[in-house]
Amino acid sequence: MARRESIGPLFISPWLIGFLLLIVFPFAASFYWSLCRYDLLSPPRFVGLENYQRLASEAVTGGRFGQAIWNTAYFALLSVPLSILVGVSLAVMLSWKVRGQAIYRTLFFLPSVVPVVAASILWMWLLDPRDGIVNEGLGWLGFSGSLWFKGPTEAAAPPSWFDFGSKDALVLMAVWASGNMMVIYLAAMGDIPTHLYEAAELDGAGRARRFLHVTLPMLSPVIFFNLVMGLIQSVQAFTQVYLVSEGTGEPAGWSLMLSLHLFLAAFQDLDMGYASAMAWLLFVVLLVATAILFRTARHWVHYQGVLR
Amino acid sequence: MTRNGAVLTIALILLVCGLAIWDRLDVRAQPPPERREVVFWHFWGGADRAVVEDVVARFNRSQDEHFVRAIAMPGNNLDLKLFLAVSGGDPPDLINQDDPIMADWASRGALMPLDEVTSPDEVERLRAWLVPAARQLGSYDDRMYALCNGLDIRALYYNKTLLDEYQLAPPTNLTELDEIAVATMKFDETGKPQRFGYLPDPRRLLAWGTVFGGDFFDEPTGRITADSEPIVRALQWMTGFRRRYGPVAVAAFRQGDQSLPGKSFPLLAGRYTMVMDGQWRVRDIVASQNEQRRRGVAVTQYGVCPLPAPLGGREHAGWVNGNFFVVPRGAQNQHGAWQFMKYWSGFDGYESEAAQTCRAGGWIPVSTRVVRQPEFQHYLTEQPLFAQFVELAESPHQFPTPVIPGAPFFQRTINETASKAMYVKGTPPVHELLHQATRTIQAQLDANKETRIVAP
Repeated sequence: MARRESIGPLFISPWLIGFLLLIVFPFAASFYWSLCRYDLLSPPRFVGLENYQRLASEAVTGGRFGQAIWNTAYFALLSVPLSILVGVSLAVMLSWKVRGQAIYRTLFFLPSVVPVVAASILWMWLLDPRDGIVNEGLGWLGFSGSLWFKGPTEAAAPPSWFDFGSKDALVLMAVWASGNMMVIYLAAMGDIPTHLYEAAELDGAGRARRFLHVTLPMLSPVIFFNLVMGLIQSVQAFTQVYLVSEGTGEPAGWSLMLSLHLFLAAFQDLDMGYASAMAWLLFVVLLVATAILFRTARHWVHYQGVLR
Repeated sequence: MTRNGAVLTIALILLVCGLAIWDRLDVRAQPPPERREVVFWHFWGGADRAVVEDVVARFNRSQDEHFVRAIAMPGNNLDLKLFLAVSGGDPPDLINQDDPIMADWASRGALMPLDEVTSPDEVERLRAWLVPAARQLGSYDDRMYALCNGLDIRALYYNKTLLDEYQLAPPTNLTELDEIAVATMKFDETGKPQRFGYLPDPRRLLAWGTVFGGDFFDEPTGRITADSEPIVRALQWMTGFRRRYGPVAVAAFRQGDQSLPGKSFPLLAGRYTMVMDGQWRVRDIVASQNEQRRRGVAVTQYGVCPLPAPLGGREHAGWVNGNFFVVPRGAQNQHGAWQFMKYWSGFDGYESEAAQTCRAGGWIPVSTRVVRQPEFQHYLTEQPLFAQFVELAESPHQFPTPVIPGAPFFQRTINETASKAMYVKGTPPVHELLHQATRTIQAQLDANKETRIVAP
């Protein structure tokens, strides 16, 4: 028996070695490098908190890092709530028993299985300011078109209200691909006990009240899960940003997200220390944001069978 | 599963893995035993790759001492792969690149100075043999680290048929360019631009700044001078188009170029009367004219002229880049790498071979000695548009992105600044933008200097 137990770790050793070498070591190394000047070729030189000070000064003066923070915050704060809103709304509508329900469900889920590269190219065509179908459609409705991916404007911020720019186009892409969230909501809705709806109906609750007081609270754990995952994913958005801005954060740095800024600093400018510091800062910010979300969760997330 | 079954399964898996590894080892082209291998990394793909493979094959046939094994590494990760290879002590013998990274790599001791690969005398001869632009592209800190094997030159393409319609001659100075730009501008019935006479590309401030007489870097003092007066004037002139037509119209029109099928040449789509672009567009023009002939429609005529300079500016000036060879530190067969570099670029008696290569690839030679080869002269008479670029390549006013550590950062910051000035509403005045960019780049340059490891 003892021999069999001692063989156990041997079987998990490939994973264990991989975990230590490919995750724990780079994690620790990147923290050390964040305190160094390091260009990949020469040995890292310890400089203390210099990289963090540089980041702080750029954040304050609105340098490239400051711009990247604003761009990422704008993208995350718009895309995550909108994706949740659209995902829940779609899930509710797709739960209605109508003819062709399965087809609708497939159609709305489809965008989330399109590879991000293909989706980015598709959206670049759709949102072309001159020949794109979206601006064409807006033109028919009497609206002037926007520059979308090439626009240095922000529709949700002054002074360019409702003038859609590069980040708005990225938000639109993210919302379009919220089909996977929708499927999770749909599954969660199927799990809501019907007796809750029956009880609410007996109490005289209409459709809207049933949604607000039964469906939403019962969906809240799933909404919370999607909120946390969405936040992490949106802060790490890279591929689509790289593609639509041709790897530069164009136009004029308007779509320079933190992950792209980090990539350019590390692999184009060979500023690995600065990039590592940025990665750690990003990690800490995400950790704090997630912790805050978890603390607020006790006020609005309802788990079945948990008494308050 | 029985014990025997498990053993058999594991044996089968090991056999398959072993065969796969054996197969991979076997496909490697082995050099003939009496020759030394030159491992050569390059980024070429598409139609150019066949040309590269042909040069390699010709070199290998001409040799009984070295054997080049070319490894294509398209994509953006060549730098990282090289650094890992250098750090791991197993770099290739030769690399071909076209990004402005030579100073970055050289300052970090990753490259061999050419006077250590061959004799200093030979490098001196090489300097004299190269055209000024190629010499600058290969030199850093008074030493040569790279040998250029092809130049990329920009000039002004114009639609000659359209100019004839308007009874206009190609521009010889900036005022004429402005006049043609206004005269041939075309709007649709809603007032949206349908054709721009000319529209400066923010990614070409490096070219226009040079034409206006500016220098982006002062080598003796090591200072970035991107906010010098001629460069400010150049950007002011570029933003004049934005003031005239509005930032939105300008950006929307520029974005429309991206959506042309296969990012084809916008001049051929009739979107512009004049466009600044490189010599590789000559092929597109020839293909388009052949297609027009095949369809039996009138053939549109195009021309090329140097970038027109303002009063007090530089004639035959512009921004140049190119492909270059570098030898990583630790390369095993440096002598073989040097022989292949010479064979491709044409130095030291290989002019005729280089002429053949440049002709096949549509590349601009790096020495007038290659240009003068009868075979290449014949090619130039066949391709008069291309000939204009070759002539410009010899000008002393063709300048590359400053060859400094952090050149990619320099280029990105300058382009972003020009982009801001061209497209963003409510940006600060041009001189302030350039001043800010200059300070940012200088800070990065100074930081790079502090971390710099001098090549051992």
